[in-house]
Amino acid sequence: MSAGSLAAILQPRRRTRREVLRDWIRSRRPANSWPALVGLAGFAAMLGLQQLIEPGTQRLVTAVFLFVALAQAWNLIGGYTGYASFGQVAFFGLGAYTVAVLMNNYHISFWLAMPVAIVAGVLFAVLIGVPLLRLRGHYFAIATLGAAEGLREIVNNATPITGGGLGITIPTFGDQVPTPYFGKPGFYLAFLILAAASVAACALVARSRFGYAMVAVHEDEEAAGAVGINTTLVKVVAFALSGAIVACAGAFYAFQQIEFYPTDVFDASFTVLMVIMVMIGGSGSIAGPLVGAVGLELLSQFLRVNLGTYNQLIFGAIIVLVVVFFPQGVVNYFREAVRTRRFSILDNVRRYRL
Amino acid sequence: MAQFLQAAAYGVVQGGLLALVAVGFSLVWGVMNVVNFSHGALAVTGAYLAWFLNVHVGLDPFLAIPIVAVAMFAFGYVIQRGLINLVINAPIFLTLLLTFGLSLVILNGLQLVFKSDDRTIDTSYASQSFALGAVNVPYGRLAACVLAIVITVGLALVMNRTRLGHAIGATGMDRGAARLMGIRARHIYAVTFGIAAALAGIAGTMIATVGSFNPTTTPGQLTLDAFVISVLGGLGNMYGALVGGLVFGIAESIGGLLLTGTWVNAIAMAVLIATLIIRPTGLIGKAQYSGRVEV
Repeated sequence: MSAGSLAAILQPRRRTRREVLRDWIRSRRPANSWPALVGLAGFAAMLGLQQLIEPGTQRLVTAVFLFVALAQAWNLIGGYTGYASFGQVAFFGLGAYTVAVLMNNYHISFWLAMPVAIVAGVLFAVLIGVPLLRLRGHYFAIATLGAAEGLREIVNNATPITGGGLGITIPTFGDQVPTPYFGKPGFYLAFLILAAASVAACALVARSRFGYAMVAVHEDEEAAGAVGINTTLVKVVAFALSGAIVACAGAFYAFQQIEFYPTDVFDASFTVLMVIMVMIGGSGSIAGPLVGAVGLELLSQFLRVNLGTYNQLIFGAIIVLVVVFFPQGVVNYFREAVRTRRFSILDNVRRYRL
Repeated sequence: MAQFLQAAAYGVVQGGLLALVAVGFSLVWGVMNVVNFSHGALAVTGAYLAWFLNVHVGLDPFLAIPIVAVAMFAFGYVIQRGLINLVINAPIFLTLLLTFGLSLVILNGLQLVFKSDDRTIDTSYASQSFALGAVNVPYGRLAACVLAIVITVGLALVMNRTRLGHAIGATGMDRGAARLMGIRARHIYAVTFGIAAALAGIAGTMIATVGSFNPTTTPGQLTLDAFVISVLGGLGNMYGALVGGLVFGIAESIGGLLLTGTWVNAIAMAVLIATLIIRPTGLIGKAQYSGRVEV
């Protein structure tokens, strides 16, 4: 048997696009389509929720949607691929400033500026990803943190273009408005779609061949390379995907804020929140960052409103307690507990202690 | 030229001070592979303790150092034994998250008690300086720098010459093997963290003496500086933080002279990233720890 025919045997049977679609529809079962259905139901519920709440409350919920998108994006590189970036806020600030500079200096429409922001995010991810993704663990974390701080200083000092430390304002009134302001209901919709799109994108990526490659790189990079995965490519693409989502979120955030300063959109606490949300929810899953982002953002808003000066103290204490009791993340804990029927939290604590 | 020398001299004394902040951070990172986000918070806690002793008891900050060190050691020991040891086997970023939460608790607690005002410990000598040729050397910073060097050498001696130091080193190299040799890893980790907390407290006292501190901006800056210096100097060598701190201090001080505005911050980060790409083990770090870098 010649090598050519062996390859022919190993090739899957060629199918037309219609056959692929038909097979896909036939393969749908409640067991494999419930996440999509739950997602659609959640999306519809959020659309309905908008009709019930006031614009002021809508603004608070908008922040939840923003963090859902950011947490999902961080999970791609930090959770699935295992490279915990502490500089994702660089993409956020880059997206925000790209949109603001284009809209303010060149009067370009938001809908044109936003894709440019995404492209800028991807380019920056490739630029810093290629050298930095060779590092691992804490070293990758500090290097990306440094990159974010460096980018902030560049924006801070490029005063002729960005306005520097004095901040930048997106024109929202007058004759020459590039895009009319969305208002609170408009931004509720915009951030809802952003969040839904990032969840859907991450879910699709995670279940694709590429998603398995990311997990393989996380589990054992040498072994992944040995079975023919181009680990550098996988890491850079995962980083760029994550950066694209964060840059897009930054673009919307910039337009929502209208006026902001480099210290606002390059605030390292955005990165820290992304990491905390993913870690507490459970990294390496779609539900984890979702639960983490919704839970923590609602909790922090609740504490801010009801506990006044004590809110940060309580917030920190809750982080400590959740980390101690659910080191693998809340979602991963419950998933395992349901499967093994062992719900003891004390046993869970014992697993990771010294 | 005089200006340049002055900047270099300031860089050396400032670098010594920052080295004192970083040495405990580097020790904890090297031994336990824990990046301690609450290091800055511990330093500020020490600073408040010394400030309190100075204002209410009238104790000189240099005399307050032993009290601060003992109190901070106890505090650090309890934190490690009671909290961090619980998640030491979990993925590495959990310890980072835990210490981040801890730092929120400590700093907001301090803020509730002491308010967020800038504080400083007033002494008659800290702001005085003497002239060395064309260069002015401030007494306070010089003393802090000398103290940093003495403490670093002392720590290196403890690590290399005593049973405790050997136990800490062994646990850092291979915890399983160390436990088989009868070393109580829980206790050793707690002692290591206690030492780091004590050193952070001493550093905080010095910062409060030569400058000012507050519970909102100082801790984050100190943690970041400690992180950068540890990477720059390299892990696994007690002198790493000292070398990294001096290089960092001089680079920042001379950079501040040559560059305008806030560009100096960008340069510091560029130096850091260049170090990581070209020589990830740091300037004098041990190769054994480069296993964790895994380039």
